[in-house]
Amino acid sequence: MSDLAIDIRNVVKRYGDHLAVGDLTLAVPRGTVYGLLGPNGAGKTTTIRMLLNIIVPDSGTITLFGASHRAPGITDRIGYLPEERGLYKKMQVRRVLRFLAELKGVSPRVADQRIDEWLERLELRTPERDWGLAKVDELSRGMQQKVQFIGTLLHEPDLVILDEPFSGLDPINAQALKDAIVELKSRGKTVIFSTHLMDNAERLCDSVCIIARGRKVLDGGVAEVRRAHSGRMIALALEGDDASRIAPVIGDRALVRRVDDHNRYYELELADGAEAQEVLRRVVATGAAVQRFELVLPSLHQIFLERVGARGVEEGVTGHG
Amino acid sequence: MGKLVVVFKREYLERVRSKWFIIGTVLGPVFFLLVAVSPRLFGDNEVRSKELAHVDVIDGTGTGLGARVTAALHETYPLSRAPNLRVVRPELVPAEEERSTLRVQHADVLGYLVLDSATVAGESMGYAGRNANASGDVEALRGIVRQQVLAEQLGREGIDASKVAAFSKVRLVAHTQKIGDAGPERGTGIALLLLGWAVALLLYMMIVIYGQTIMRGVMEEKTTRVAEVVVSSVSTDTLLAGKIVGVGLVAITQVMTWIVLTILAMYYGAPLLIGRAGPGLVGSGGGAPSGMPAAAGAGAEALAAGLPVIPLWAMIVLLLCFVLGFIFYASLFAAVGAMVNSQEDVQQAATPVMLLLVSSVIFMGPIIANPEGTLARTMSLLPTSAPILMPLRMALVRVPWYELVGAMLGVLVSCVIAIWLSARIYRVGLLMYGKRPTVRELVRWVREAR
Repeated sequence: MSDLAIDIRNVVKRYGDHLAVGDLTLAVPRGTVYGLLGPNGAGKTTTIRMLLNIIVPDSGTITLFGASHRAPGITDRIGYLPEERGLYKKMQVRRVLRFLAELKGVSPRVADQRIDEWLERLELRTPERDWGLAKVDELSRGMQQKVQFIGTLLHEPDLVILDEPFSGLDPINAQALKDAIVELKSRGKTVIFSTHLMDNAERLCDSVCIIARGRKVLDGGVAEVRRAHSGRMIALALEGDDASRIAPVIGDRALVRRVDDHNRYYELELADGAEAQEVLRRVVATGAAVQRFELVLPSLHQIFLERVGARGVEEGVTGHG
Repeated sequence: MGKLVVVFKREYLERVRSKWFIIGTVLGPVFFLLVAVSPRLFGDNEVRSKELAHVDVIDGTGTGLGARVTAALHETYPLSRAPNLRVVRPELVPAEEERSTLRVQHADVLGYLVLDSATVAGESMGYAGRNANASGDVEALRGIVRQQVLAEQLGREGIDASKVAAFSKVRLVAHTQKIGDAGPERGTGIALLLLGWAVALLLYMMIVIYGQTIMRGVMEEKTTRVAEVVVSSVSTDTLLAGKIVGVGLVAITQVMTWIVLTILAMYYGAPLLIGRAGPGLVGSGGGAPSGMPAAAGAGAEALAAGLPVIPLWAMIVLLLCFVLGFIFYASLFAAVGAMVNSQEDVQQAATPVMLLLVSSVIFMGPIIANPEGTLARTMSLLPTSAPILMPLRMALVRVPWYELVGAMLGVLVSCVIAIWLSARIYRVGLLMYGKRPTVRELVRWVREAR
């Protein structure tokens, strides 16, 4: 039995002249929460669809739990929550869920039992109203998302793939989803999710992979990645209104490569060859009252900015995905 | 296989459970019954003018034919105002015609009949009037005059007047018998024509309705994005196959229910309706113009009297026509559904498929008129129209076995091609959002799909 839930090797996928995924290699250990990070069009969804054997890579191999991802029955061990969510509108909620479970090989009897549990757990069945008997289009958007989430987990998959799971969720559902991911991990399941929200990823993921324009930029454990990028980030906070005084210092590109200005709090990235001590000396010399000056571990967000670059980020923040 | 069953089960059960399916299935036979019976109901009461007998009868024959016709008219249409008889010498007929023309213009009478020596000879009669374009009216008048000419001739041959009256009331109902190579065949010619026509129309209707059901189903899965989840559990080929089988069986379920209900309705419902229409309805089809009303009316009788017996091999061909025709068009419709993203696009994108389908029914008329002609042969062999038109031709003429086999093989091959093409378009299109693909992009989809 392989220790890896997912083992992708040298996978390439092109659409005409467009390279969707180029020579991607990544490994996801069992029982971890894994983040697939990248801006829009980076190839996250394409990668996920290839994992699920919805589309076929031009070259490379994909192994799931030690077997080919095309092996019969392997998709029954995967739960997939796509980015674009939707259900059969005119169908009864219970029947939709039973259908999704049966597609994964769960017997109708077992499915019914689990549907009951889930509906109660997510408060879709209360003493006043059983939403399981309603048609999908009678449900609010938030409820539909819950139903979709139940559909992803009804067959108790070993690997759960969530494509942009937080997009479009209200805060309450987002919280519930986060709890669910943590619980899945505690039960030994592997969770892989794609997102462009770095804060989520930083808090939830054991490991991450950043991809941009179809290529892997970096991957590894979140702690490792942050440590590898440490020593270059400075947190600087001032007392009082001294912003104008230090402007020439932090604007010096020979010293500081990039500034994230939060008005009275700054995150500085050192320029190549510059020393943190030099920055401190110059800032103090301006007469500004320094409240905090600290070498910090960069956030995933900053690493992402640094490695993917402004252009990639702009693409990433213009829309969902 | 297991997943195919799951997909098929959903497609079938969700549709059979739907309100519209139940309404359509129950109301279908009522609709068919009305179509079959209504020409009869309206035909005898309304197509002919109520005042049909309110005419001038100009008799220039010198034989008393005018008096006979006048009496017969009055007797046949007692509710109408009575006809006026004017017996004149032959040379005065034109003047009388002018007088009657004025009377028609002033709405004193509906029209006038002109009886002359040619009428006595059984060659021609004249009629002018406001309803001279209504073929039902003219046919009715002609029938009465014809009967009286016959009575007149028999009278001259020395047959007793009372017997003549009895003879002239003879009403002939046509019982037809079709004879094939294997001898006489059960069922009347008109019933077979009707059956072929009805079967072809039914095939067309079911393919259009349920083909579009598949198209809308695919589009629904695509636009609601539910396809994303489904195809992560089941291959697109299985999904497409389950859809076509499921919806196809819904169609078969509906037709079977219709047939059973229609037969029940014909046995128990038709006599009630026909009985209410009053006397003079049953069996008087001879006077009606050719085409629909007579055919449909006779159809009600034929069905009420029992359907012609269809041999087993013909049943198999019929079923094959439906199954293959449905699969062919359903896969094309599925491909269209997978191509589009919106309701507006779908009508346009479906046009080529609809044209193929419609092209088979617009030729139904000419094919009924000449089922052995080149057009009929070609259209019943062409894979796109064979499933609909071959059953029609089979009902009308004896189609050689090699033509039958050829047509079915053609449809089978087309089916394989359609499935292959559609499966590829479906695979790519189902998860491709954005604008509708151009033909060039479609070709690429087909080439690149794996």
